[in-house]
Amino acid sequence: MTDLTTLPGAVPDHRQRSPLHFAWRRFVANKAAVVGGAVLILLILMAVFAPLITKSPPTAQDFLGEALAFPSAGHWFGVDDLGRDFFSRIVYGARVSLSIGFSAAVFSVLIGIPLGALAGYYEGRIDWIVMRIIEIFSVVPPLLAAMLLGALVGGGYWMIIFIAGLFGWVQVCLLVRAQIKAFKEKEFVRAAQALGASPGYIIRRHLIPNSVSPIIVGFVLAIPLAMMLEASLSFLGVGVPPPTPSWGQMINTGMSFMYFYWHLAVFPTLALAVTVMATTLFGDGLRDALDPTLKGK
Amino acid sequence: MTAALELRGLCKSYPLRDPNGWLPRYRELRVVRDVDLTVESNSIVGLVGESGSGKTTTGMMALRLTEPTAGRILVGGQDITRMEAAALKPFRAKMQVVFQDSYSALDPMFTLAQIVAEPLHVHGRGSAREQTETALDWLERVGLHRSYGSRYPHELSGGQRQRVAIARALVLRPDVLIADEPTSALDVSVKAQIINLLQDLQAEMGLSILFISHDLSVVRSLTDKVAVMFNGRIVEEAATEDIFIRPQHPYTRSLLDAIPVLNPRDRRDRVFRSREDLEADIPRLSAVATGLPPAPTPRLIPHGPGHRYEALVQ
Amino acid sequence: MIPFILRRLFSVSVTFVIVSILIFTMMHSIPGGPFDAGDMPLPPEVRARLNERYGLDQSLVTQYINYMGGVLRFDFGIPFQSPGETVLELLGRAWVPSLVLGGLGVLIGTPLGILLGIAAALRRNTWIDYLASAVATLGLTIPVFVTSMIMILVFAVWLNWVPASGWGAPDKWILPIAAYATIPMATYARYTRSAMLDTLNKPFVTVLRAKGLSETRIIYQHVLRNSAIPMVTVFLPMFIGTATGSIFVEAIFRVPGLGAYFVSSIRTRDYPLEMALMLMLTVMFCLAYLISDILYAWLNPRIRAGGRKG
Repeated sequence: MTDLTTLPGAVPDHRQRSPLHFAWRRFVANKAAVVGGAVLILLILMAVFAPLITKSPPTAQDFLGEALAFPSAGHWFGVDDLGRDFFSRIVYGARVSLSIGFSAAVFSVLIGIPLGALAGYYEGRIDWIVMRIIEIFSVVPPLLAAMLLGALVGGGYWMIIFIAGLFGWVQVCLLVRAQIKAFKEKEFVRAAQALGASPGYIIRRHLIPNSVSPIIVGFVLAIPLAMMLEASLSFLGVGVPPPTPSWGQMINTGMSFMYFYWHLAVFPTLALAVTVMATTLFGDGLRDALDPTLKGK
Repeated sequence: MTAALELRGLCKSYPLRDPNGWLPRYRELRVVRDVDLTVESNSIVGLVGESGSGKTTTGMMALRLTEPTAGRILVGGQDITRMEAAALKPFRAKMQVVFQDSYSALDPMFTLAQIVAEPLHVHGRGSAREQTETALDWLERVGLHRSYGSRYPHELSGGQRQRVAIARALVLRPDVLIADEPTSALDVSVKAQIINLLQDLQAEMGLSILFISHDLSVVRSLTDKVAVMFNGRIVEEAATEDIFIRPQHPYTRSLLDAIPVLNPRDRRDRVFRSREDLEADIPRLSAVATGLPPAPTPRLIPHGPGHRYEALVQ
Repeated sequence: MIPFILRRLFSVSVTFVIVSILIFTMMHSIPGGPFDAGDMPLPPEVRARLNERYGLDQSLVTQYINYMGGVLRFDFGIPFQSPGETVLELLGRAWVPSLVLGGLGVLIGTPLGILLGIAAALRRNTWIDYLASAVATLGLTIPVFVTSMIMILVFAVWLNWVPASGWGAPDKWILPIAAYATIPMATYARYTRSAMLDTLNKPFVTVLRAKGLSETRIIYQHVLRNSAIPMVTVFLPMFIGTATGSIFVEAIFRVPGLGAYFVSSIRTRDYPLEMALMLMLTVMFCLAYLISDILYAWLNPRIRAGGRKG
């Protein structure tokens, strides 16, 4: 024990860097992801401060006299067929789309983490059951089942969040399960077991913190899926009921007017495309940054 | 005085599923067979053998990280083989482990202080502040500066990580340490430092160590007693010097012959034997591998004080 | 191999039965049957008679067994929206446009996607790589109905090159086929690229280069073959994506195919047709699942020998 404290390099001279620091550096290097993230933040701000940047509420038919008017200085995106300012409708549509996306993603993560952790840690029978449930979900396409459910119970805001979460957890669950399966054979888990730590403690303190990357990735990638689901259902008329502004619904209406009043089709289509794209690029970038081994999968 | 750790007739077998059958059919794969081993208090016992000989499985069974199929494990004279998690917990504090791969042995999301304090936390020893204080003391004791406490494992070298792993294993002041090839992933110079550290700590704390390794030179310099494992069985056991000078079992002999020697004149009588050749010579080994019913059982027969080796008893 | 296939077949059949039970219960347990007071003001005894005639008064289990018994004889009942024919006849008619458009879309989109993916992997960080990434990202993230809308707006409304919708003359097929093709094209462009890059980075490719094999032979004899395995697994999501996409493509381009009937059956609560379509799709997806599993095992010698992929 004499000369051990004087080992070369024994005194640290730099600040500590957690594993997340390197993920952040990789993320910033990815231009598409940074742009996606910036657009997403802008959209979120727009949705949050919607009343401040629009001149009338989205459901107010204040401009009946100008119904179907083309974009102008007064109405940036024109006026819709029922005399509502189309810019307000699009901005408030972001509220609906983003809030559904985020709530459904939270829901997915809340179901996916515990199931994935249990299946990954215990394997055996629990894993078999979870995997069979997932198999069922993977032969039933979410959109069709959602349409059926939506049609049967009449759509609605919370129903869509429920349905999107119901199908969104599978991805999170698989990601968490794979991570925990890989990590539970690691020696640090064996060491914790040798300490007499309970399975609950090991899952909570070791395995889930080491699964943050897949959890974040699963969360972010569940958002665009839920937004697409909402738009698709609303487009088919079984989603969010009018007059709540939903882009899918507006695209459906826009379709009947597109030959003469192009703005009714173009703006919601672009809004949806941009939002979903931005979120996906952001999510893909996060995934590549957090787990370089998953790249492109 | 009772032994720190005793293994009595320990066996481990795994069911092997035949993949091409219509119905599941299982064969038994016997990884560890009838292992008897005693680690006396305040001593270092080496468990040597090639990869796949079952030495790591034996260590994991001693820790109750792998459940034995048969046999008993005694820690300080107490049988822990069938203990439930809650009853076992105090015994877990008496027996700790250091692994081979220091990188995966430390949780990458924990700082070093958290890693070393974790055993204290799990066993509820002291307040959070005292736990951190003790952890930092231990980092110092294994040769790392206190300020390393806020670092993460990936910032360390392999030798430094192994020091942290040792600190974590010893912070509860256990009686027994199971060291599973703790030096085989390290450079030669670092290896010597870690061996010295283990030796110092063993002497200071009166620790009993089960040192699992395939590195015979390390084993010779460190241990008091050596057990040689081959194909899941202990084939020879003796005091360290005794076994290195007078090996009895053919496998032990070929293992010793494989140690590189510096003086060419010493090489003269070394024999390198193929595995087939070896197996033909070793009692009943081929019969076990093919699943034939046992012929006369090989037994460990005594050969001088504390020296036993496996042979056929007619 | 055969025990493996049979085991998977059994597992998929169990999944199918569970899914069919789920769909059946869902459709029958949700309040609001076809003859409810709200929808149809009928005298109670007439409603009772109707319910009896359609077996709606029996227990769910009996109804399910009766229904599945009929399904085994290809009797799916009579669609409410077109009572002149059976569900089977209607489906037989609706298959044609879906198969023609969807089939052509997949046949065109798949090779295009694979070629794009290969080109992107071989010419990394050039314009073709960026093009492939853009196609893949756009095609996989933007819902099909948005792509379809954009196509209509650009090619039918502004440029006026092709008619926007309908079924009949082949010039009306161009846009729907293009819309269909985006799904397999995007899927394969993305996965071919990543599978190729994965293989190209493997040490054995370095060994092949080191021993002096020409780049062309490395690509054609080794890399492509090894990249085929992960690409097989994409078959299932691609198939599901295309089938689901058909609903929107057909709704937007007003094609009288399966997707269009799916939408109308949901809007009109046409239970027999809806149930038949759901079952048919489930069978299709189960088969696709099974096929991709078997193909994967067949291509992968490590799995062929034993167990299942876990």
